[in-house]
Amino acid sequence: MRFRNVAVVLTLVWITLFVAVPYLLVVLFSFLTPNPAGTVTYTFTLESYRQIFSPVFLTVCKSSFTLALGTSALTLLVAYPFAFFLARIPENIRRTLILLMIIPFWTSSLIRTYALIILLKANGIINSFLLSAGWIDEPLGILYTQTAVFIGLVYTLLPFMILPLYASIQKLDMRLIEASRDLGARGWHIFFHIVLPLTMPGIIAGSTMVFLPALGLFYIPDLLGGARSMLMGNFIKDQFLTTGNWPLGSAASVLLTILMFLMLGWYFAVSRRANQGDMKELA
Amino acid sequence: MRRALSYGYLVFVYLFLYVPIVVLVVYSFNDTKFSTNWQGFTLSWYGKLLTDGPLMEAFANSLIVAVTSSTIATVLGTLAAFAIYRYRFIGRKISFSFIYVSMMSPDIVMGISLLMFFILVGLSIGATTLLLAHITFCLPFVVVTVYARVSGFDSHIIDSAKDLGATELGMFRHVVMPMLMPAIIAGWLLSFTLSLDDVVVSFFTTGPSFEVLPLKIYSMVRLGIKPEINALSAVMFLVSLVTVTMAHLMIAKENK
Amino acid sequence: MKKIAFLLVVLLLPLALHAAKSEVYVFNWSEYLDPAVLKTFEKETGIRVKYSTYESNEAMFAKLKIIRKNGYDVVFPSTYFVERMRKLNLLKPLDRSLLTNLKNLDPKLMNKPYDPGNAYSIPYLWGSSAIGVNAKYVNPATVTSFNDLWNPKYKGKLLLMDDVRDVFAMSLRSLGYSGNDTNPEHIKAAYLKLLKLKPGVKVFNSDSPKQPFLNNEVTIGQIWGGEIYQAARENPNLVYIYPKEGATFWADNMAIPASARNAKNAHAFINFMLRPDIAKRNCEYVGYATPNLAAQALLDPKTRGSRAVYPDAKDFAKGEFQADVGSAILIYEKYWEMLKTR
Repeated sequence: MRFRNVAVVLTLVWITLFVAVPYLLVVLFSFLTPNPAGTVTYTFTLESYRQIFSPVFLTVCKSSFTLALGTSALTLLVAYPFAFFLARIPENIRRTLILLMIIPFWTSSLIRTYALIILLKANGIINSFLLSAGWIDEPLGILYTQTAVFIGLVYTLLPFMILPLYASIQKLDMRLIEASRDLGARGWHIFFHIVLPLTMPGIIAGSTMVFLPALGLFYIPDLLGGARSMLMGNFIKDQFLTTGNWPLGSAASVLLTILMFLMLGWYFAVSRRANQGDMKELA
Repeated sequence: MRRALSYGYLVFVYLFLYVPIVVLVVYSFNDTKFSTNWQGFTLSWYGKLLTDGPLMEAFANSLIVAVTSSTIATVLGTLAAFAIYRYRFIGRKISFSFIYVSMMSPDIVMGISLLMFFILVGLSIGATTLLLAHITFCLPFVVVTVYARVSGFDSHIIDSAKDLGATELGMFRHVVMPMLMPAIIAGWLLSFTLSLDDVVVSFFTTGPSFEVLPLKIYSMVRLGIKPEINALSAVMFLVSLVTVTMAHLMIAKENK
Repeated sequence: MKKIAFLLVVLLLPLALHAAKSEVYVFNWSEYLDPAVLKTFEKETGIRVKYSTYESNEAMFAKLKIIRKNGYDVVFPSTYFVERMRKLNLLKPLDRSLLTNLKNLDPKLMNKPYDPGNAYSIPYLWGSSAIGVNAKYVNPATVTSFNDLWNPKYKGKLLLMDDVRDVFAMSLRSLGYSGNDTNPEHIKAAYLKLLKLKPGVKVFNSDSPKQPFLNNEVTIGQIWGGEIYQAARENPNLVYIYPKEGATFWADNMAIPASARNAKNAHAFINFMLRPDIAKRNCEYVGYATPNLAAQALLDPKTRGSRAVYPDAKDFAKGEFQADVGSAILIYEKYWEMLKTR
């Protein structure tokens, strides 16, 4: 059997069976009638889509997108220097350091979030320390604020930015940087015109792997933020579990997908114009 | 100076990553069943851990699923990323689009739709369906990571390998894979991490006879997460730490 | 040939033995019964217990809606979920002849509207949700009604549950309506009242409401009696208050899904849980109230005397059980989304 055929067939079969078909089920559900007592009633209707375009859904979308964007940006800011410096470390220590970076994430994320709560709460470790050192008079209210949410999200998603960034930065040829320095280019210039463009695939991959899951995340924002707002994940979960309105939940999911593709399409169009090559084949 | 800055930043990030873990380990000695407040020191949770059959069984199940699904997802994902990069085939663009869709799907949507699909096809809900589900949600992360690396390839290297008479398979095995290795490993590590901690998709796609650890943990929230879970996490963390350190020392010794 | 036969027997024997071994698949919350009780059950009956967990009624309900065969044998739905599930034929009617220990149960907790005659479910643990305060910061004597939660001095120190039914029930009761009201006008009124309260809410939490209290993040809020009772062991300042509108009562029940494989073992399991000594062990392990009168007699007086866990007759009379609201849940959810997005 030719390698090419095996690779292509495996890809198509798996994606079709386990990704496309279930997703098409969701699309199908979005056009059906809700049956709160059961799953769905097989009657075609556009009611779910009519209901979706409401101020509530718009607010939910905005909240989720803002949170996901903010998280991606922050995570990128923290992860890029980390991946960059890590790639410079001699090879034998480097591999170990990568493993050491990811081992903390093999503990349950719930327990880790509880550990964050223990650190951030009013009578928690950070506040107790600051109070006893006399640096503050009243406990800092970090828990149940947006700050706590971002700390939690960046903490949870960091490996998803570090690893693809690292995989991309690691093959950066240091000689390019040395050569340009020899030719008289300064630090920032080298970074923006050589390093950044060459590591762009890693940045895109990492940002994608943080932004997309972050759109659907709600458990950690609820735990650390006090659950005072509704995110896309809450909204969809409520439709599937609380009200049994599967068509509405499905419609929300479909709309989220469409919004995502619009965003990605806009992004690729912009980057094509700026001549960032790789993805333009697929955009 | 620049060296110090870079090392300093690395240390800072590692601190950020590890401080909550230290807290987690310390609280495994907390003498209370439900609180996030320190009530006193005890070793009893480690004792309870050793005799907690169902918890250990769930933990073992999680490990088996995580290793298996990561490995299969990594193989599939690497092949898929390479195929999408290199070969023109019908459904190429749609496949990549669905990769993104899958990555963005909220867990509940994926869980319920996969469960309905499994039932439609007549599969019995249990360890097999759980495994299939895990491979499915890990796949996009492998594909995106490997694709990012492969798209930065110098295609001349591949072309010259083919000019020298290599088959597609040979070229893939001996030229491409070594170059992709950091991304392949990164993909495996990400998949393993994702699989170990998945709750919602696992809830819907596993059966009555196959319980996994994250479900047990999340279900405990209602009454309070016992420090026994902290103890389990601490043990797993320590074992991983020791393994990594020992592997490092052994390799370092070999290289001498 | 003989070798192959021998090999087959050796390989298949464990399978045969495994199949012969009786099993029961229990679907419940984690830690919601004493694990030692399972071991006792296995020893006494020879039936192996395979325990799976869920984290909410809604998730359990969704899964059971989809899996129609080879499912779980025993499940623990809360009050109105029993109603929803039996209306959907998701539960098997119980065989009374196999439940000899039923007589131990408190009659005032039986035959409720969510399951007339207890045809499908047996109460396992029960409790109430009302108001909790930290007496160090809030004088319990000043809190007598749900309306007191709207007092501006609690702004920023208030906890509400993160459940649409629980929160709206509290607001409805404060207006004098039932917490199971299906009248859209009443629900809207409850929503408008909650909108005024929301800016002062620090956290919505239905997972473990006692934690924010113990963490000194909140000083007053909605909470279950059993939670306060447990939290008070760590912080004796935490006090449970039954408001004059009455508390909301809930009960978690044992039921057998229609998709059960081992219905007979399921009955044996439920009957075993109804034994006074077993019920006592579970109740002490979990910390909520047992509906088993014979078990209550075995409890230590301090637990039995806790009003937070065991409401007295007056508390019980004023309260109401949660019930299903049918399609009105869509109205509730609509206002819940509006509440959360303001």
